[in-house]
Amino acid sequence: MAERSRPAAQTLQGQTLEGQTPEGGTPLAGADPVYLEDPVLDATVRMVVELAAQVWVERERRLVLEALLESRGIVSPEAIESFKPDAARAAALKAERARFIEDVFKELRRIPVAPAARASSR
Amino acid sequence: MSQPIDPMPTLAQRADASYLDFVEGFREYILGKGADFEGRLNSALTTEEARRGTAWRDVEEIREFVHAMPLGRLRDRLARTQQEMKWHALRRSFEAQRVELAAELAAWDGRGPGRLELDPQFVYPPYVNVHFHLQPGGYYKDELSGFLYHYGTKVFFRGDNDRDELHAKLVATVPPPTDGRVTKILDLACSIGQSSTAFKRRFPQAEVTGIDYSAPMLRVAHRRAAMLGDDVTFAQRLVEDTHYADAEFDITFAFIVFHELPLRIIRETVREASRVTRPGGTFAIFDFTGTRDKSPFQRYHRWFDARHNGEPYSQDFCDCNLAEILAEHSFVVAAAPVGQRSGGAGYMQHWFATRG
Repeated sequence: MAERSRPAAQTLQGQTLEGQTPEGGTPLAGADPVYLEDPVLDATVRMVVELAAQVWVERERRLVLEALLESRGIVSPEAIESFKPDAARAAALKAERARFIEDVFKELRRIPVAPAARASSR
Repeated sequence: MSQPIDPMPTLAQRADASYLDFVEGFREYILGKGADFEGRLNSALTTEEARRGTAWRDVEEIREFVHAMPLGRLRDRLARTQQEMKWHALRRSFEAQRVELAAELAAWDGRGPGRLELDPQFVYPPYVNVHFHLQPGGYYKDELSGFLYHYGTKVFFRGDNDRDELHAKLVATVPPPTDGRVTKILDLACSIGQSSTAFKRRFPQAEVTGIDYSAPMLRVAHRRAAMLGDDVTFAQRLVEDTHYADAEFDITFAFIVFHELPLRIIRETVREASRVTRPGGTFAIFDFTGTRDKSPFQRYHRWFDARHNGEPYSQDFCDCNLAEILAEHSFVVAAAPVGQRSGGAGYMQHWFATRG
């Protein structure tokens, strides 16, 4: 089965998977193989897994924080609930929010501008 | 009590570590018993095999069947995704520390014990230009490739090799030459030198050399060994053309190297190992087992790993007869499985060969 033609996607290091030069062996999949019925489904699954990762990152940090705060008697749960950020903190939170959204939804950019095809490109 | 020395690179922030902690757990879940894709898909494959009344002809036939199942396609999606997530997080975390990490490497390059021998004229052969395991840039294209690899394998080994326990365990099983003489050891494609230092500790009087094509790997190997106080030489050389003298080494070693070499280079490497290992010396290899006696799903996974996890040479390696190639080059071979490991069909085997 023919590899679906795609533009050379940038990998994480600015290298393209298409630039590899293996000598024989098993032909390598490209940067964005489609595994499911269409690329939108693939992106959806990636986003769900990414969300789970992000949730774990947050939960782990919160558990650490709560343990520290409690053990040191520094901050009560009520103080956290009523916290209002100042301007600088609010800007930092917005930047963090942008990074969070990018992490989860970057998958949307990987959906090719092309008609959906069956998962035949693998 | 002071903290033990830990050459594992640190991540930029706690969130990176917890993200990778998730990836490690998720990987185990989808490749192991949690989601049990392997058990369920293999059951479907063996049921279908029984219904047809004939064994699966080849991996192509198995693949068509797996890809016809939504469960199979989803499993592949998730297996690919967890690997991409790992590199995404690692790249970002190390990129944030690029200046500091580069300076750290530079600071250790000239320090001992041990030494680093990089070849300014070195030309990377095209066959190494592969993003093995989807690592961005492969093993050598980024100054920080060695750090990426080190933390990447930490996730792969699920924390069981954080202090190189696996390497120490495997190196301890390597039989020395029967005359007991071990003065020089060569670790082929040593990457970040975990086996090399394990050999130095097992044979403190021996001169241990680790070679690899990747300068970034060797720099991390040297830094790691020097930090740990292990006197090992790390040199930038090709495993198939080492330029060492005939019969120079008592033990030659290759840990999960061959499945990342094209068949042509596998043969050349065995020939080279035969040349540099002295008569009566040991050539010890740990690598993937063959696929012929594996379950239908494991045969499928080997193909999947080759195509979708940047392992173009592993299928050919698993289908070849390494023992036969070794025998063709004056080695007398004893091989036995090492035991099961997690991660689908990722079982390892050893070949302990004696140079005739």
